[in-house]
Amino acid sequence: MKISRKWLSQYMDISDLTIEQLQEKITNAGFEVEAIEKQSQGTNLVIGYVEECTDHPDSDHLHCTKVNVGDAVLDVVCGAPNVAAGQKVIVAKPGAILPGGEIKAGSIRGQKSEGMICALFELGVDSKLLTEDQLNGIEILPEDAPVGNTDPLGYLGLDDEILDIGLTPNRSDCLASFSMALEAGAILNREVTLPEFDGASDIGTSTTLKIDSKTDRCPYFLGKIIGSVKIKESPKWMKELLMASGVHSINNVVDISNIVMLETGQPMHFYDMDAIPNHEITVADGFDEDYTALDGVTYRLQPEDCVITNQGKPIGIAGIMGGDDSKILDTTKGLIIECAHFDHVSIRNTARRLSLQTEASVRYQKGIEPLAAKKALDRAVQLLIEYADAELIEETVEYGNNPYEPKEIKCTLNDINRLLGTSYNCQQVYDIFERLHFAPVLNNEEFTVTIPSYRTDMEGKADLAEEVIRIIGFDSLPTTLPLMEMTEGKLNEKQKLKRTIRHYFASQGLQDCITYTLISTEKKDNAIMPKGDAVELAIPMSEERRWIRTSILPSLLDTVSYNQARNNKDCNVFEYSDVSYVGGQQSRVAFAISGQLQQSRWTGYSLPSDFYTAKGLIESLLDQIGIASARIAFKENTIDTKHFHPYRSAAIYIGKDCIGLCGQIHPSYEKQTNVKGVIMAELDCDLLLSIKKAKVKFTPLSKYPSVSRDLAFVIDRDMPVEKVINVMKKQGRVNKEMVIRNIEVFDVYEGEHVSENEKSVALSVLFQSDTHTLKDEEINTVFNNIIAAIVKDCNAQLRG
Amino acid sequence: MNEIEQLRQEFNEKISSCQSLSELNDLRVSYLGKKGPVQGLMKLMKDLPKEEKPVFGQKVNCLKSELSDLIDAKKVELEEKEMLSKIESEKIDITLPGRKPNIGTIHPLNLMWEELEDLFIGLGYQVIEGNDIVDDLYCFERANIPKDHPARDMQDSLYIDENNLLRTHTTAIQMVVLEQSAPNPVKVICPGKVYRRDDDDATHSHQFMQMEGLVVGENISLSDLKGTLLFMARKIFGQDKQIRFRPSYFPFTEPSVEVDVSCHVCGGKGCPTCKGTGWIEILGAGEVNPNVLKMAGYDPEKVSGFAFGVGIERMAMLKYGIDDIRHFYTNDKRFADEFKRFE
Repeated sequence: MKISRKWLSQYMDISDLTIEQLQEKITNAGFEVEAIEKQSQGTNLVIGYVEECTDHPDSDHLHCTKVNVGDAVLDVVCGAPNVAAGQKVIVAKPGAILPGGEIKAGSIRGQKSEGMICALFELGVDSKLLTEDQLNGIEILPEDAPVGNTDPLGYLGLDDEILDIGLTPNRSDCLASFSMALEAGAILNREVTLPEFDGASDIGTSTTLKIDSKTDRCPYFLGKIIGSVKIKESPKWMKELLMASGVHSINNVVDISNIVMLETGQPMHFYDMDAIPNHEITVADGFDEDYTALDGVTYRLQPEDCVITNQGKPIGIAGIMGGDDSKILDTTKGLIIECAHFDHVSIRNTARRLSLQTEASVRYQKGIEPLAAKKALDRAVQLLIEYADAELIEETVEYGNNPYEPKEIKCTLNDINRLLGTSYNCQQVYDIFERLHFAPVLNNEEFTVTIPSYRTDMEGKADLAEEVIRIIGFDSLPTTLPLMEMTEGKLNEKQKLKRTIRHYFASQGLQDCITYTLISTEKKDNAIMPKGDAVELAIPMSEERRWIRTSILPSLLDTVSYNQARNNKDCNVFEYSDVSYVGGQQSRVAFAISGQLQQSRWTGYSLPSDFYTAKGLIESLLDQIGIASARIAFKENTIDTKHFHPYRSAAIYIGKDCIGLCGQIHPSYEKQTNVKGVIMAELDCDLLLSIKKAKVKFTPLSKYPSVSRDLAFVIDRDMPVEKVINVMKKQGRVNKEMVIRNIEVFDVYEGEHVSENEKSVALSVLFQSDTHTLKDEEINTVFNNIIAAIVKDCNAQLRG
Repeated sequence: MNEIEQLRQEFNEKISSCQSLSELNDLRVSYLGKKGPVQGLMKLMKDLPKEEKPVFGQKVNCLKSELSDLIDAKKVELEEKEMLSKIESEKIDITLPGRKPNIGTIHPLNLMWEELEDLFIGLGYQVIEGNDIVDDLYCFERANIPKDHPARDMQDSLYIDENNLLRTHTTAIQMVVLEQSAPNPVKVICPGKVYRRDDDDATHSHQFMQMEGLVVGENISLSDLKGTLLFMARKIFGQDKQIRFRPSYFPFTEPSVEVDVSCHVCGGKGCPTCKGTGWIEILGAGEVNPNVLKMAGYDPEKVSGFAFGVGIERMAMLKYGIDDIRHFYTNDKRFADEFKRFE
């Protein structure tokens, strides 16, 4: 919404306020002034008279002029094609600051020049408001312009300052300058005087106009014939106001329709009466044809579009744009006025589909106050009589009903103070309501207010409370904390687990990532262990964002690919996220590691990002959340061998539950995702949450010494070491007490000195008892039993 | 007697030139051994008059113990010297890099999320999350957003079908909480991802994070909101910060406000970050609209409440000075490595 200082000054005295003060006060009351625009800019300007104008001796387009500026005659070189002797012009003297820079005295191709003769666009006037002539040449002032006047912009009425106000959706009533003026009056606490025009359209003789609506998208319609008007140039004040609002002046009649729309917020359309046969106008829909509008562009109408018709043919797109055939021309003799209510959703859809947002369509979409149609018609008739010599005025024709009852709201002083946390008194609140024209009646600390028709946003007590604090000012609001019963603030178990997992992986050297929920079909098809079918958007943003993901890894691999492509070495990433599927949502964590997880090159230390690092990360995580290693099994991955290397991946089980997959990426998927050497895993955090965790309980430390014994053996390459260890553990008892306290694998070897299908394994076994010092013979017995068992059950051959 | 003195002098000279423990050992063996000169002195005794023998013997014994003491003292001295020489030879370059464990990073949005979560937990708030896919009843209808509002157009939000969509704001969580809690008091924050049909650029993202707060009870006022948000702004941006309210409009609150915090870069004097105003907009908030309370099952004549919605990206961008929202979702390791500090 643009409103100028001059426009506001028509209704109230604001001469004591600078534009910046206006900006601040209006902004603080909820009307954010997003920008202050000066209609034109320039210092050190003067009105001059061109006494002489000759061609520049050394140029084919420059002129040398002598310009009388009252107290001097200046030599000015001018490049404009339209400059001539005898003109009154705007001169920028040396030192003038214009939007394009400072003007300096000097010489142009050898000729002295003591200033510049200005075009309006050079003085910052919006070029879309200028004519072709004005854009191509200097501004030529009227013959009676006073030479020596140092305020030529003021003389031209181009010295207005414009407030560009961002309206919140609830206050689109202020798209009407009358409402904005009342609002500004309330904010600034000023008396506002609006023009009197109530009932101006109630005159008229019997009419030939017939109006109708065949669609519920147009429930109310006022029409009127003005039999005779005189088309001419608009008065200066009208042109200036339109210019300040960014609207081009065309002629008095078209300008009146625009002025009235700007004043009342009600768009109206004037048709050339002679272009409407039978004086019949019907609003209809159901068209499916091409239509050329006022702007000369052909639009495709669709059945849901609301259209203005005459004799079954479209003459305008309702609420958006009229037609070329019936527009007001210099030859127009009489008018038909259309002033209607249209359904704002219908207008929105049509305007959007046609990419055709006009001053009118914007106002219809934002909603127009219930009494605006009649106000607009009254004002239009008043202005047409005064500025377009309107005669032969016929009576108004009305289609439909427009019932209106003023709204009353009751609230007590306590209601206001309770919602705001303030302690205002009755008088303060009463004054605010009065400033807002709410006609307050106070009875025993209870207010009854009557809401003006344009304040459609006012519904109840909370709205009144807002008005009070908004006008008094939010700076006066106290700062307190809520007083209520004490509550315990805490994370729930799931939120705690999320944090534990996130901080665990970060502390292990991984990078926490957030990737997008919406993914492509390709990524959707590469989900890891989806819990259900993926959910598709009804109208996707793009192919890249068609599906809601069921799995994190496909997105996380993008992150790896991105970083590897940028030589961000050792990409080790993880993400905890919710994923969705048809019927539910699931929390997951995924990681992808590559390169080294830990490394110190000069010392030769490294922790490679390989399968065993990944497995260890998972084992320690589970340990940390209370799931002991003994409960975890890494089993052969038969679930997904499309994305995982079938021989270097595992399905992770806790009891019967598979909590996820872990392993090296499958070479073909690796190629597809453009990553290198990735080990990845994705786990179901909901399962992790639901699985029973061990409580921390202290076990007394053994008082007796421990003994360790090593053994090395050769087994089949395919024999899982875990099986050997399980066989060993079965033999680990002395007097029923389990004395094997730990079995550590310290070497696994394949290659020279070991035959092709075998591997050599070396283990260290730790023995200890809680009841006595283990004797050599006891340990020997257990150790020999262990050896015998693995030879028998695992086909192991002991090494020397 | 001269022989004793001579021997002493000779020994003193030798021990003072002794450089190593092995030399010292040789010296000990050569002087104090069975065939050494001290023992040799004892042999002279047999030629002495009887009355001189005890005196001589005593002197020789004295000499013997004196030499032994000197050797012990020298031994301590030499051992100390050898140890010093050994540790000196063990000198390392302490400026070489340490074997520094890589501690990884927490995403700055999650850092901000957790920081906000913790500060509200400290004020006794519960943390409630919800599903990404929500019923438009909770996303819009209950939030007082009318049927014909542009956000409810299938074209404008990310709908799954006629009734379900990816939530456009975490208000959707609050509306469920309200319905479940009515008529009892509520004090929650609701963080989560939200989705809008926006093209991604430096300031827009089709996916982002919000955290909304909601308090409902008797006499919960706009002043309580201001106090709560002042507390939050000071925790996040520093104790010297101020906040201000500017009137605004949201369908689910009335009165509605935009909240600014005094600029943390210039301290309020005006700078490019705050566009010269000294203030930076951080969030939208207000008193819960009575219609919203009514629809959830509360009596707005008896209870009131406030709600606020924090954009986690916005807070993180302001706090860390990040200039492009896309950084959060690109996950460049170099970006992540700037956020090593986490507790």
